[in-house]
Amino acid sequence: MSPARTVLLIAEREVRQRLRGRLFVITTLAISVLLAIASALPMLLGVFDLGGDEADDGPPDPVAIVVVGELSSEATEVLEQTLGPIVTQRAADPDEAASSITAGEADFAIVDGERIVVPARSGVFAFDPPAASRAAEALALMALLSEDEGGDSVGAVLDLAPLPVQQLGDEDPADAAARLVVANLGVVFLFGVLIMYASMIINGVIEEKGSRVVELLVEAVPVRRLMAGKVLGLGLVGLGQTVVLFAPAMVVLVVTAGDLVPPGIAPLAGWLVLWFVLGYGLYAVIAAGLGSLVSRPEEAQAVLTPANMLMILGYFVGFASINAPDATFARVAALVPFSAPYVMLVRQTLGTPALWEVALSIALTLLTIGAMTLLAARLYEGGILRVGARVRLRDAWGAARR
Amino acid sequence: MLELEGLVRRFGEVVALDGLSFAVGAGELCGFLGPNGAGKTTAMRCAVGVSAPDAGTVRWEGRPVDLEVRRRTGYMPEERGLYPRMRVHEQLVYLARLHGISARDASASATRWIDRLGLGERRDAAVEELSLGNQQRVQLAAALVHDPHLLVLDEPFSGLDPIAVEVMSDVLRERADAGVAVVFSSHQLDLVEDLCRTVAVVSAGRVVLRGGVAELKRQGDRRLRLEVDGGTTWAERLPDGVEIGSRRRDAITLALRADIDPGQIIDLARTSGRLLGVRLEEPRLSELFRDAVDGAGVAVGSRPDEVES
Repeated sequence: MSPARTVLLIAEREVRQRLRGRLFVITTLAISVLLAIASALPMLLGVFDLGGDEADDGPPDPVAIVVVGELSSEATEVLEQTLGPIVTQRAADPDEAASSITAGEADFAIVDGERIVVPARSGVFAFDPPAASRAAEALALMALLSEDEGGDSVGAVLDLAPLPVQQLGDEDPADAAARLVVANLGVVFLFGVLIMYASMIINGVIEEKGSRVVELLVEAVPVRRLMAGKVLGLGLVGLGQTVVLFAPAMVVLVVTAGDLVPPGIAPLAGWLVLWFVLGYGLYAVIAAGLGSLVSRPEEAQAVLTPANMLMILGYFVGFASINAPDATFARVAALVPFSAPYVMLVRQTLGTPALWEVALSIALTLLTIGAMTLLAARLYEGGILRVGARVRLRDAWGAARR
Repeated sequence: MLELEGLVRRFGEVVALDGLSFAVGAGELCGFLGPNGAGKTTAMRCAVGVSAPDAGTVRWEGRPVDLEVRRRTGYMPEERGLYPRMRVHEQLVYLARLHGISARDASASATRWIDRLGLGERRDAAVEELSLGNQQRVQLAAALVHDPHLLVLDEPFSGLDPIAVEVMSDVLRERADAGVAVVFSSHQLDLVEDLCRTVAVVSAGRVVLRGGVAELKRQGDRRLRLEVDGGTTWAERLPDGVEIGSRRRDAITLALRADIDPGQIIDLARTSGRLLGVRLEEPRLSELFRDAVDGAGVAVGSRPDEVES
């Protein structure tokens, strides 16, 4: 049997055994359902809010509009028909209009009858003021009808584009807030799965070593392939679990509230998967190498401590870099393989890493995975057959030379 | 043929193997005997490649043992070894496939051995749910499922009930008859004497006795029990090669070297009186074993920490 097929066979067993664990499957599915329900909340809350508005039986507050330049009486009339009572105030220029809006004196501004300026969004899933959107459509329709008398108005109406709506502020604060949430969740998620899967790896190695089944396995398979198969198999389980956990929630979110998902978030899901794969690859081989030194589950966490420290350190560095994603500190940490998965994910979410930085970070992490694989394979070869007392690093290293 | 030649293995100060050599041919069913700590397990681990000797070679059909050879080797470790939570059939199929058997053949072979070893009803049970005896049957199946040329079994009989011992014996005999080289260690010397055609006795890391059970018994000291009316004074005139084991009134038990003619001793005894009883016994394997181990202990300098019991 070819090495690749052997590794696949071993990986397949890992996946199958893991999927047979009822607790694992049920927990994963339960969390997945909870996340999906949680991601439907914006829609559910939206429906609830709408109902609340309709139940409000008092006369609506007049819509306050700042007008810059001319606004025809015809346009004012259209706005009143569309929005109900309106209050207008004049402003000399867009800046003055902006300060009125920022001060909360007006809901939105109409500049020269051509574009609409709305307040900056606040909160992750904030809307532009509905009145502004309706005004943008109504004014565009009015302009069309007045220009296009006798034309093919039905077709034109169908193609109608509302007036451009411009938000105040350089960055969209809603997007920024969403990104902050994504960065935080990403770091927490990465940390959680890395810790969990490093622990799964080490327990799997100890199970084989402690039950001595490894003595049957090495008869048929070189130990490196055993290690590779285990790392691959559990990695696939991890990827699968990630997809099962998050895919339904994302689908629900896009279907029910697609327009609320800020742009630029979707590619981050891809980056998250990439950094999971790289982070997992790095820590899984380390866990496998360390796991081969001990024979009993009680010893697992003790021997894994150095790897856990690295993971925790990376986690904190990742969090620290959320506040300053483009600071020198974060730029360096994003290149150090042990913290790169966290920090580069943060930088890609909140900062502006150069393409070469991302590429270098990936390359360095891959190189480190390669080096760690060689080191871990050697420990594994030296340690996996020495059952009993914990094998010292030096002994395992020396034993592999035979 | 499996050949171990000049194997040396040290664990710190302890010498587990001290130049151990022996060979097992195809179709041979060889009992591998020795006191605790003699080096049996270490030698078997070296034979299957689980442990590497400090010196010496392990060859199969004249070639150093490599992965291809190990894949055609069936091994039962002393401490046993199976995935506790994996199901019996599934586990055997997995192990067979790792040894390079196709999925279909692996499944058929696993089913065959499960039935042969009387595990049919526990086929889909997790190994940890089985009794220890049944786990051991699964362990044997794991050694056999990939149709090996060589079987190396460390204490396959320990802890088995008489029925299981019979099944295990039948299987080993059948495999040897099919041309498989079988070597297994055991402390049950009577069982080995009945089952094996050949034995190797290890003591202090060396093979101290090796050969066919029948030949060894012929070569060993026979036991002659004589009862003569009129005392045992005749025994003062015994020739070299005869030792007195025990003496009780008129009866005397003698150990006769292989080249001593029992008739000569009987004639000698009759000079002192009427013959009341004669019994001539071939040596038991256990006696050969004891003699070989005692002799080796003196020859290589006894190491009480290793040669116990």
